[in-house]
Amino acid sequence: MATVSPVGKEREVKFLGGTAIDGAPVAYIVVLAAVVAALAFVPFSVVLASGGSFPMSQGVFSLVGWVLGPIAGAIASGIGTLIGVFLAPHTAGVAPVSVWGGVVASFAAGCMVVGGKRKNWWIIAGILGLLSWLVFVGRAYLVNGVSVTAILTGSFGQYLGVLLYILPSRILFAKWIGGKNVGLLFLGLFLGTWASFAVSHVAQSVITYWMFNWPEEVWVMLAGIVPIEYIFRCLAGAVIGTGVILGLRAIGLVKPTYAVY
Amino acid sequence: MSDPTTPKIIARLENVSYMYPRSPNLVLTNISLEIHQGEFLGIIGPTGAGKTTLCLALNGIVPQFYGGRFFGSVHIAGLDTLEHKISAVASHVGEVFEDPETQLISTSVENEVAFALENLLIPRDEIMARIPRALAAVRLEGMEKKHPAELSGGQKQRLAIASALAIQPDMLVLDEPTSQLDPVGSQEVFATVRELNQTLGMTIVMASHASEEMAEYTNRILLLSRGEQVAIGSPDDIYSQIELLIRNDLRPPQVASTFYSICQRSGYHGKIPVKMRDGVTELKRVRQQVQVTPPENLSQAIPHSGEPLISVKDLKHVYPDGTEALHGITLNIYEGEYILIIGQNGAGKSTLVKHFLNLLKPTQGVVEVGGANTEQLSVSELARRIGYVAQNPDTQIFNATVGEEVSFALNNLGFPADEVERRTVEGLESMGLLEARHQHPLSLPKGDRARVVIAAILAMKPEIIIFDEPTTGQDYRGARYILDISRELHKMGKTVIVITHHLYLMPDYAERVLVMGKGTLLLDAPIREAFHAVDLLKSTYLTPPQAVLLTQELSQLEGRPLPALLTPDELAGVFA
Repeated sequence: MATVSPVGKEREVKFLGGTAIDGAPVAYIVVLAAVVAALAFVPFSVVLASGGSFPMSQGVFSLVGWVLGPIAGAIASGIGTLIGVFLAPHTAGVAPVSVWGGVVASFAAGCMVVGGKRKNWWIIAGILGLLSWLVFVGRAYLVNGVSVTAILTGSFGQYLGVLLYILPSRILFAKWIGGKNVGLLFLGLFLGTWASFAVSHVAQSVITYWMFNWPEEVWVMLAGIVPIEYIFRCLAGAVIGTGVILGLRAIGLVKPTYAVY
Repeated sequence: MSDPTTPKIIARLENVSYMYPRSPNLVLTNISLEIHQGEFLGIIGPTGAGKTTLCLALNGIVPQFYGGRFFGSVHIAGLDTLEHKISAVASHVGEVFEDPETQLISTSVENEVAFALENLLIPRDEIMARIPRALAAVRLEGMEKKHPAELSGGQKQRLAIASALAIQPDMLVLDEPTSQLDPVGSQEVFATVRELNQTLGMTIVMASHASEEMAEYTNRILLLSRGEQVAIGSPDDIYSQIELLIRNDLRPPQVASTFYSICQRSGYHGKIPVKMRDGVTELKRVRQQVQVTPPENLSQAIPHSGEPLISVKDLKHVYPDGTEALHGITLNIYEGEYILIIGQNGAGKSTLVKHFLNLLKPTQGVVEVGGANTEQLSVSELARRIGYVAQNPDTQIFNATVGEEVSFALNNLGFPADEVERRTVEGLESMGLLEARHQHPLSLPKGDRARVVIAAILAMKPEIIIFDEPTTGQDYRGARYILDISRELHKMGKTVIVITHHLYLMPDYAERVLVMGKGTLLLDAPIREAFHAVDLLKSTYLTPPQAVLLTQELSQLEGRPLPALLTPDELAGVFA
């Protein structure tokens, strides 16, 4: 490359208007919404509680939040899931709840930041997750008489994730996702997906449980199934996410303002 | 008062320098330039010269969208591109990029043209009025309801141009608009752009490696190298400076190379023409001063025989949508051959070679590799014997580092770790990529990404290597580099099959040519015979190299047949 010094005066570079939402170009939001919609076609597991399968797109909700930021990410996942529930009803579950889940997961992930102006936004998602879990298990115990053991084992994946989200581990995962170490990036994506999706999961479960009130036997079954589902969901997020983030960094595409990577 | 005869300045660049984010190097350095209304400015330069960045700076995408550090100023129709929104600048500058596929997003041709207008909040009636005008300008009338996917490559690029035209810009910027197209698509785009320039007076800025066309169509050429402005002048000025072009890894038009070589060999002191018609005129002059002595010994392809390595018998292929891509192809390919497959887009070239790999199954007929029917062999078995370098390298790249990409197939085929490492290093070294081993493939330029794919193929040590359009998107140096590797492989005894539209590159490499058209094999002949079958080549929309056309012109002038010369050097040799 040239070794000559610039003669012209250095100018202040700013993005004047244009098509961006919360610092994320609309084109990115459209592309990731399309990815979410496409992944909605891929069934990933049988969900006993509400029937049907959960879609592979659940594995990338959090990634969308880290790439686009909390607001643009929530919009992309919401739109993608909304399209997905119509095009791929076999994975839609309770459609409005699925859309809500996409929005919450991406928002919660996008709020996992190390610092900056939005370092306290996680509190919104954290309170939502915590309150949702309390109402969810409270209804199970107080209204439906499910045993404490069944509740604690059946919702283990969820409250573990919510705890990881509320505790400073959230910041550690964000650091790993933003760091250069590929191994830690993978781990950060895996655990970060677990934490942020758990917030979304309980925010969905509080609604679906109110609708279906599944019996204690199902809680017992879930104790074995939910963690396995989480592992596969988080593996999908980490495998796809590692490739996407390394690729995005390599091609030097413009980074959305609130991207975490 | 301004001089009314001086064309208005549409774009003014003053000391423009630019650095992408996270890059320590300037990609543009102190570019100062004025672009006048109605001119056709060509931008040339090797890969990495800054052509694309300069094109993007003309509508503010650089630096507004990419960020980075920017020095100097760019004014378009009086608007400072750093002080105005991209949408405001875009109403003066239409931009068309290299790959038409990446620009088309709508479900019909007319929706595509309307898309940008809708985004600019143009009233509906006005949009409806502009659509037919824009489509007429690029000769796509009557295709309003077609899906863009149904269009040919040239038509797609013309649709992208129509979408840019609909905004009614003062200036149209085209960045390598023909590099993905076959010769007929390329001609369509150049003809369309010239018509816009000459009939509507639209200012055109085009970056391209197509030197013959650039010499023919542009008014002025800007030569960039390593981000710096090396030369600017008329096509005659720039393209006749052969040494300057070679120094900057650029390919001169063959007519210019021919006469440069004639001057060097014979002491003839005429001018160096850069356009074909001027070349024909100059040819008449030179033969009056220098005697024509046809060469006695021209290299000839050695016919191969024995058991064929690949045997195709009565091959027919019909795609699920009913498209009949191949009609009864029969041919044999022998061990150690270097074969060139040519033909227009849609002629069936890629469809044919995909049958060799069992990526497609014959609808009728048989394909055998090494005597075995490919339908009975798995893709992985065939992959050990046949390496396939696809047209777009990005479709074959998916690992996080260059090294992992090259070793991926070796690991999957179960080679021991030390063998994987040895072959990976060999493959990377042969492509000059060893230093990039730990980089992400997507961080490399497109030319290098193609080399990553080739390195991965070479590491497999296949007997047959198929290069599908390996020179697309490469500059002259990159194209020669890849073809030189294909020649080395051929010398090592490998069977090499190359598909390309760039016929002018191939005389130094290929021995035998398969000319395809509309799914049939039109000609199977040695390269000298095939390249001089001018009418047949034109029937499948291929343009023979200028050296071939000049040879035929010279034969007519001499009134006697000359040997089938292929290159500027061979042609110049008859005047020595």
